[in-house]
Order: sequence, then structure tokens, then C-alpha cells
Amino acid sequence: MKVVTGVVGNDIHVVANRLIDLSLRARGFEVFNLGVNTYLEEFFDAVVETGAEILLISSLNGEAEGWGREVKALKAQYKNLDDLIMMIGGNLVVGSGKAEDIVPRYKKYGFDLVCHQVDLNTGLDTLEAFIQERNTP
Amino acid sequence: MSQTSNQLLIDVGSTYFKVSTNDSIEQHFRDFNKDILDDLLHHCGATINSFAKEDVYICSSANGGLNTLIIGVSNSFSLKYATNIAFNSGINIIDTILYQNIEGYSVPSDLIDVVIIVGTIDSCAGMFGEDLYQYLGKLEYSNIVFVGSEQDAATIEQNIAKVVVLPNIIDNKLHIVEEHLKQYLTNLYQQDIEGKEDIKHLYDITSNQIYPTPYIVNRALPQIDARYSVVNPFILLDIGGATTDIHYSKDLVDDNLVTTNEFDRLVFKKLGVYKSKQSLIFTAKNNEFVYELLMHLKVTENIFDEQSKKATKILMQLAIFLVLCKISHYRKAYINLKFLTINSFVLTGGITKVLSVAEIEDIVGFFYKKILTSEHRPVVVLDSNYDIWTLGVQGDQSCQ
Ligand code: B12
Repeated sequence: MKVVTGVVGNDIHVVANRLIDLSLRARGFEVFNLGVNTYLEEFFDAVVETGAEILLISSLNGEAEGWGREVKALKAQYKNLDDLIMMIGGNLVVGSGKAEDIVPRYKKYGFDLVCHQVDLNTGLDTLEAFIQERNTP
Repeated sequence: MSQTSNQLLIDVGSTYFKVSTNDSIEQHFRDFNKDILDDLLHHCGATINSFAKEDVYICSSANGGLNTLIIGVSNSFSLKYATNIAFNSGINIIDTILYQNIEGYSVPSDLIDVVIIVGTIDSCAGMFGEDLYQYLGKLEYSNIVFVGSEQDAATIEQNIAKVVVLPNIIDNKLHIVEEHLKQYLTNLYQQDIEGKEDIKHLYDITSNQIYPTPYIVNRALPQIDARYSVVNPFILLDIGGATTDIHYSKDLVDDNLVTTNEFDRLVFKKLGVYKSKQSLIFTAKNNEFVYELLMHLKVTENIFDEQSKKATKILMQLAIFLVLCKISHYRKAYINLKFLTINSFVLTGGITKVLSVAEIEDIVGFFYKKILTSEHRPVVVLDSNYDIWTLGVQGDQSCQ
């Protein structure tokens, strides 16, 4: 399956991004890595150009809180992204916060899978389980 | 001048032409009632006749060049990449269409020289359909080229008559692949120039190929710092009679464009001081800072109605300011230059004969202060001897 990934916004934390790229490949995904400093619009555009089924966004510096509410409106401008699996992970708030509060909020923003400070492998296991569940009728 | 052996260099623009030899440089307004060759011979016949055909080099931006309409599937990749390649090939862009919304776009009434269709990497298929063919049915165009997914090429060929199919300009890593489309567009431009009756006659005085001017300028850029004490990174403004061109080094944009080209180009079609004077004034009147700028220059709006040397100066200063505004604010302009890291502004074209360094610095300073609220002041360099296109033409000879 094809995955578009990258770090959103003015965020230059690159280490996790490299690891995500490697781990996804090791699990057999075809990866399109947009790297750090990526605009939200570029993520969706890359999905259109590659025909990716999954969008996996990282945010490490906490700024996702700022633009999260714009995700739905932006995605609605695209005509064929209804089946896209949307996942986000990293440090999803500034400072500390509780996953019980954070996860529902990001789900409301339009993400299917939300991993606040979740270890990468656990996160990717969740993704694979989600895909499998979706594919079983 | 920088020529080594004795050569005659001629640049035919939309408003005036320049003729340069080893020891002189002349510039004349064009007489539009005359054929270009007659006009040239009228002004500089003696000089031209003293050169052998193989020592005469001509470039031209007359006749406005070619135009294109681009249809792509996303702003950040297909449309952006095709736009970039078109600009670098010297082609003007009439409009870009985001395919998913194609039904909402109006059909341009102008004849389009070349339509470019692009979208998705090679591992995708089935992007384009009936709505594309319907739109194209309403459009008048002379050439059409497909540079999208190779899997879609066969369907496209079945449905669009005379379409030229070239390799995808987006590779499997989502990076840009320039060369095939660039070559195709440059060849079209070449054929267009050669096909124009006016230009054809110019082959009476040269045995060398006639190139589009922006192509020549782009080629000279990597060597500019050899000619001037230009501090990198720099931008080059070519403000002409009909258009304003900006060439800039790639370091000045934060971008996902990964290309082998060091320099890019942007064109503002309707910002010239002669042929596009009215649209320049219109743009100026719609800019909220212009009145302050006029005040700063100690003139009033009435200057727009004047026909004086002073009025031309002011218009040129305005053109500089408006172009800078366009690449700083509006995301729509497809790039945003990092102005605070620019070290030099190089200016070429007719403007160098009208404005002094101080007058240009004044505008650049106003722009940095008002728009960017910055004290940064890049160095202004004037290419008064047209060394830039000399360099570009010579670059060509060394390639041959
Ligand atoms: C190294 C570092 C930097 C370096 C970055 C170098 C580089 N180019 O990568 C520098 C010094 C430049 C830097 C700058 C800043 N940083 Co910093 N930085 C760190 C630091 C110390 C380590 C990050 C790292 O590489 N970790 C190793 C990787 C492997 O781990 P990770 O990033 O946490 O990612 C893991 C998981 O989050 C997960 N993951 C990530 N994405 C996703 C996505 C999904 C879907 C899933 C499932 C999992 C997942 O996978 C990874 C492996 O398990 C962290 C603190 C820390 N200990 O985490 C702060 C930290 C991330 N930085 C922080 C901040 C605030 C900044 C600055 C704003 C500081 C400033 N005031 O200037 C700037 C921001 C610059 C910018 N524009 O982005 C904060 C963020 C706070 C927040 N979110 O509330 C942190 C958490 C420090 C802190 N405790 O305050 N930083």
C-alpha cells in the first residue's frame, strides 16, 4: 500500500521522520516522504498525485494544535479523498496533555488514528490492525 | 563589452531593439509600421553590413512569445512543476486549471499555443476522463502535450487528436523531471520565432540560430558574478516594454522542487512600461501602498496621464515595486522569495537607460521598509551594457 508521510508545518524535527520512513518500508509499504516543513495542502496534493491510501502526519513541536481544526475544511475541497486513512502522531499538544482529551479532539478534526506520544512500532501495529479490519467485510 | 572576437549582437524586443559591437552599443525604439529588418537597417544599416553573417547573433522576445494553458491534478506538484518548466522555457502562462474542478473554469477565448496536461506518478492510472475531453472540445489550441502517468497515455491518445505524449514530469519520488517537456517547449518557441514573417527576414543578416531572449538570459545567470561584483544570492529584474521578468537563484525559495537548474524564472505579462502601460497603472491603482509611494517620490496621481521622461521614470519605479509586492505577499504567485536573504538586485533591459542606481535603491528601500518592515538593503547592480545577454549568446557558442 502507498503511504504519504512527513512532518507538518514549521517543524524541523527530522529524526522520527527518518525512522517512520524506514519502519514503513520494512513493513512493506510504498513510502512517499515529504520530509520536514510540509504544508498541509502539500500532503493532500501528494495523496492525489500518488494515489496513496494512507496519510501519516508527524507533528513534534506541538503546533498541530493550532491548525488541526482546519484539516476537515481543507480535505473537503478535494473530491476523491473520502477513503483516505488519516493518521497523526508525535507531540500533539504544547506542553503536557492527557491522551483521553487529545485523541477525541483530533478524531473530531478528521483523523482516524491518533497517537499522542505513542511509540512508533505500537502506532504502526495499530495502523495495520485498522487496515485489516477495514478490509474484512 | 565582453565579446572576444568581433561580433554583432542584436536583441529584438517588443518595444525597442539593441545592437552591440565590440566597441559600441545602440538602442532604438521600434517603428511598428516597418518590418523589423527594415527598421534595423534603417537605424544601423552601415554597422550591420560591415559584419559577416556568421558573426551576427540575434535573440528576440518580440511578438510576445508563446502561451500555454496547463491542466494538472494538484497545485503543489503537477501544476507547479509544469508552470516551472514553462517559465524556464520562456513560455507565458495564460491560466492553470485544477482538473478536479475543471467544470467550473471558463474557457479562454484566446487561441492557446500549447495545452499541457499533467498528473500523477506512473504507478497510477485512470486519472482523466470525459470532463477533460469536453473541456478541450470547447478550447481552441494549436498544440497539446501530455506529460502525466505513462499508464494513462494510451487512453489520452485515443481521446485527444494529435496529442504529443512525453515522459512524465513527475518521477516515482514525486520529484520533477524537466528535460523532455522543456526541450519540447523550447523547440515550439523556436519554430514559432522562425515561422514569424518578420523574424524570418532576420535570417538574411545572420547564419546563426535566433533564440528567445529569456532563454539567453537564463543561460547567462550562472556566470553573472564573473562579470559583476554581484553577491549571491541575487535576483535579476528585466523590465521591458511589455513584460517584466524575474530570474532568481533557487536558494531563495523554500521548495519541494528538486531540479538541476540553479535558476528559475517568473514572468509578469502585463507589467511593462510601454505596451502594457495601462495595465501597469491599473495594477498600481489597486495597490494600497502606491499612493504613499507616489508621495515619497514627490509626485501625484496625475503623473499617470503625463507623457514625459519623468513619467516614464515613475512608471519604471512603480513596476519594480509592484513586481516585488507580487512575489512577497500573494501565495498565488506560485513562489515566495526569501527577501531577507537576497544580497543583490541586478537590473537589465531598457530600465538601465532610464533609472539611476540611486533611484532604484530608493524604491527597493521603500519596499523593504513598508512591506517587509526591514532595514535590510541589498546592493543594486545595473547591467547598463547588456553584458548579460552578451554572456548568454557567448555561452551558446561555447556549447556548439
Ligand atoms: C532534537 C530536538 C530538537 C532539535 C531538532 C533537530 C532535528 N533537525 O531533528 C532542535 C534543537 C533543532 C529542536 C528545535 C526545537 N524544538 Co525540539 N526537541 C528535540 C528533542 C530533544 C529530541 C527529538 C528527537 O529527535 N527525538 C527522537 C525521535 C526518534 O523521537 P520523537 O521525535 O519523539 O518521535 C518518536 C515518537 O514521537 C513517534 N512519532 C513521531 N511521529 C509520529 C507519527 C506517528 C503516526 C506515530 C505513530 C508515531 C510518531 O515516533 C518516534 C519514535 O518512537 C525533543 C525532546 C525529546 N526528548 O523528545 C525536543 C522537542 C520535540 N522540541 C521541542 C521544542 C519546543 C522545540 C523548539 C520550538 C524549541 C525552541 N523554542 O526553539 C524548536 C522548534 C524548531 C522547529 N521549527 O520545529 C519540544 C516540543 C514541545 C511540545 N510539543 O510541547 C520538545 C518535546 C522538547 C520539550 N520537552 O519541550 N529540537
